[in-house]
Amino acid sequence: MVRLITHNLLACHFRDVQIELREAEFNPEFLKGFMPKLEWKALVDAARQLGDTTLPLEVPEMLDDEFLKNLHHVLLEIHVEEGVMSCPNCKHDYPILNGIPNMLLAEHEIG
Amino acid sequence: MHSIAELHSFSLALPESPEDRDPTRPYMVVGLGHEEHALILARRCILVKSVYEFYGQGSTYDELHVSTRINETKWARYIPETSFRFIVTAHNHKIPQSRQRAVIESFAYMNLLGKIEMKNPQIVLGCFEEYTNRNGLVRSKHEGDGHFRQVYFGRLLEEGSARQLVGKFDVKKRVYYGNTSMEAEISLLMANQTLAAPGKLVYDPFMGTGSMAYTTSHFGALVFGSDIDGRQMRGKGTPPGVIHAARQYGTESRILDLCTFDVTRNPWRCGSLFDAIVTDPPYGVRAGAKRLGRKKELSEEKLKQMLELRNSPRTDDQPYFPPTKPYELSHLAVDLVLLARHLLKPGGRLVFFLPTVTDEYEELDVQSMLCEGMEIIANSLQDFGSWGRRLVTIRKTTNRKYERPSFEQETPAGITHIPAHKDFREKYFQGFKKEDETDDGNTSIKYK
Repeated sequence: MVRLITHNLLACHFRDVQIELREAEFNPEFLKGFMPKLEWKALVDAARQLGDTTLPLEVPEMLDDEFLKNLHHVLLEIHVEEGVMSCPNCKHDYPILNGIPNMLLAEHEIG
Repeated sequence: MHSIAELHSFSLALPESPEDRDPTRPYMVVGLGHEEHALILARRCILVKSVYEFYGQGSTYDELHVSTRINETKWARYIPETSFRFIVTAHNHKIPQSRQRAVIESFAYMNLLGKIEMKNPQIVLGCFEEYTNRNGLVRSKHEGDGHFRQVYFGRLLEEGSARQLVGKFDVKKRVYYGNTSMEAEISLLMANQTLAAPGKLVYDPFMGTGSMAYTTSHFGALVFGSDIDGRQMRGKGTPPGVIHAARQYGTESRILDLCTFDVTRNPWRCGSLFDAIVTDPPYGVRAGAKRLGRKKELSEEKLKQMLELRNSPRTDDQPYFPPTKPYELSHLAVDLVLLARHLLKPGGRLVFFLPTVTDEYEELDVQSMLCEGMEIIANSLQDFGSWGRRLVTIRKTTNRKYERPSFEQETPAGITHIPAHKDFREKYFQGFKKEDETDDGNTSIKYK
């Protein structure tokens, strides 16, 4: 896993990734409801980094079906199975193994 | 039941007197606006065996028949030609065949003209006698026959179908589980308490082997899980254990992601994300409740050494395990409520188990965990004797934005009430004895 929806909610960057594509159930109501929570620029950048250019640079005014299908694919169907997530805030690299990122803080990063 | 009603936006009316709404009794008369609502309850409520349209009740058959006649408009339409079948049964008792026949005959006044069909009748009429529990008393098979507390009568609407989910999610049949995995029936109840449904987002911050994820995703919700110990979620091999089990239940695609992190140092970018948080936090008994940090502060010299080691590059085969220290349960509980207030959408629910010591528990124990904007809406006990655990549901009633909780290392000042679950782990291993008690017996209930 590590889907782009998660990556967007954790505010990190990807590096050295291996990805897999897996289908997910399309739920337009869920996507529309979730839009306000997304960091749009970060999402578009991450998608492009992973090879998907279907999302517009700006949030469109009308959330039409085609847009929602693209958003669905980007948020939920691209899985980063191996790689690194790096956090610009705490400047730490978190390894992703078997789709699960290890985000435990090192000792000197706590407190 | 209230949760399912809320989920499907219908109201249900419980009986007025407290003894009639006692959930330990086998039968309850509930007011619903529509037959559809009864079907929904039968299909989603785990503890509902069947739902009948109410025709009458009484403490004797005379009373029952009076009550049933009063409701004639409800069953009159079935008189002319509907095929039917009677069942006469009891709770905590077996009614002799001969009396069953007599009971059926006593309904002759209904004057049903349709055919009697044993196999596929158009309607099933059920008569239920409630007997009080006489476990442990030696008695002959039909002793006490006829001395029931209440008898109820009505028409079958639907047999409860959610009950079979308990079998489907049986932990022993699961391809991945551990000794802390929550039993199927309870994880199903918890999923219902979260109002899990398609389009909802649910989070388990102490995911472990994923028991809550399977049932909440079964009802359509998308689930995030995190845990300080990644091994619990991964298991051995590929795919990670939790995903392997989700695949078994057909909900793999609804497990959004699994992440390893300490919930008190969580990396969520913002709040108001989740419709529900559902979890069974570690009590410290079988699974150590841990958070990042050191038990004892390092000396200056050691601290310098450690920082040097940390900053020099490590080879891949030496994974870093940051030090952890124990996370005391009452502290964890308060933090969990604070975390939930931050991460839940307004109206969202926190559903979790809190272990408690039976002799010492007070309502205040749970009330004192709350912070502003969080309200308890349910609190039920699973009784193990000298201890128990409470399934608590808390709703976020506020829209206000609060600061992200910082999870202080020290117990916050101003907490004056010491709840029964404080230092639960220590109490558990001392057998819940108070200091001045003598050792005259053991606790008979074993925690599985």
